[in-house]
Amino acid sequence: MIDIRIEDLDLLSDEEFEETEALIEEELSVWQICNLRGQAAIFHDDQHIGEKRRELKAVDYPGFDLEAELRFRNTAVVDSLEGNMLIHPLTTPVIEIDPENKTGRATWWSLGIEGLSKYRERPMAIISAGMVPGVHVKQNGEWRILSGAWQRTTKNEYHAGWIDSMVPTNTRPQISMEEDRRRLGKYAYRKDEIRRAVPCPPGKDSFIKYPLREDMDWLLDDLDQNTVE
Amino acid sequence: MIDQKRKEKLLTNIRKLDSYHEIQNLMGRLTAALNFQRREEILSYFALEKDDVSLEYADEGVFEGRKAIEALLDDLVLHPNEKGYMLDMQLTTPMIEVADDAKTAKGLWWCPGISSVHANEETKALWCWGMTGADFLFDGKQWKVWHLHYFRLIRCDYKKGWVEDTSMINRLNTPLHPLSKPSTYHNPYSPLSIREGIPACPRPYASYEESDKNWMLSKDKSR
Repeated sequence: MIDIRIEDLDLLSDEEFEETEALIEEELSVWQICNLRGQAAIFHDDQHIGEKRRELKAVDYPGFDLEAELRFRNTAVVDSLEGNMLIHPLTTPVIEIDPENKTGRATWWSLGIEGLSKYRERPMAIISAGMVPGVHVKQNGEWRILSGAWQRTTKNEYHAGWIDSMVPTNTRPQISMEEDRRRLGKYAYRKDEIRRAVPCPPGKDSFIKYPLREDMDWLLDDLDQNTVE
Repeated sequence: MIDQKRKEKLLTNIRKLDSYHEIQNLMGRLTAALNFQRREEILSYFALEKDDVSLEYADEGVFEGRKAIEALLDDLVLHPNEKGYMLDMQLTTPMIEVADDAKTAKGLWWCPGISSVHANEETKALWCWGMTGADFLFDGKQWKVWHLHYFRLIRCDYKKGWVEDTSMINRLNTPLHPLSKPSTYHNPYSPLSIREGIPACPRPYASYEESDKNWMLSKDKSR
């Protein structure tokens, strides 16, 4: 472990101490946001929507639509949890914290596997690749998820592969493929399309370019870069 | 003027951050050593001087103490010098908590993996995904693995996938290894299984207590 003692900190001026302290707090925030998103991945797979769980979302944040959140959360979309699985491992993190250590913007990529059984039928094995973009805020000293939904790249039946298969988001009532394309599948893979570069990982200057917390345009920074006329 | 309490907090946080980095590297090295089937190197990352050092592996039971861990590696896990054998586990989704006293830590990773094994005179490609939870100890010089638990999620024929092939998720109905103690948890994916949020995410803590021992199996999702 790093060899540093409290006497070493006495050598810092107050200004140097505060700079060091802010840097360390920022690094701790990156770590805590990774833990938070890991916990969210566990809850996502667990799917026991009726159980009391630690709240991970910033439900006290002004304007947070708690009613819509609870409606979404409490709507069962499968008849039984048997055979259902949603494993979306988090890789490739890019996390930027604002200078005041109050907001964290992040993106992860994920290559995951699923099992889906809607009506107690034999489950379908699914390959599920996508991204997790998000904005995180501190609420009562703890990092919470303010916004950011799974963005699908593929959700394909395992044997069919991602060229030929696209399974829509499981909803009740089931949405159409067109509607699905407008929601989580908006930027999903299609063999006859040039891929669009969304979400853009937050840049080092993310909070200078987009100082407002609610401004989500940072995710679209590279939107048209792959589109050649 | 910066007060003493603030300095102590900064020092604690610096030590915790450094530990976080060290533990990520430790687990990365351990995973590489496992993938490359390097027995002595794997062992070197465990706190072998502790009587209660342990490794629980899927449904093979808990192997406690140096002798038992060596037996587990030799008899059930490693396939050194075997042509065509391959294991490639990866660490993702890190969830790590370092105690405020920086003497212990808890960690959990989700681990996608692939493998190649010999069976019935053919070499088969497998998926092998799981979760690895661990307690860590700082021995005064470095971080070591204290208790490690590999939770199997899937182990299946690559061609068939995890729904069609569940033949390898559970051990055969043969005697358990004589040095193993009963498994604490085994719930791999199958068309009949229910996922239940285990292993659990570690939560912040001050110092390791006896009650911390089963944190990976906690079903209380409210804290």
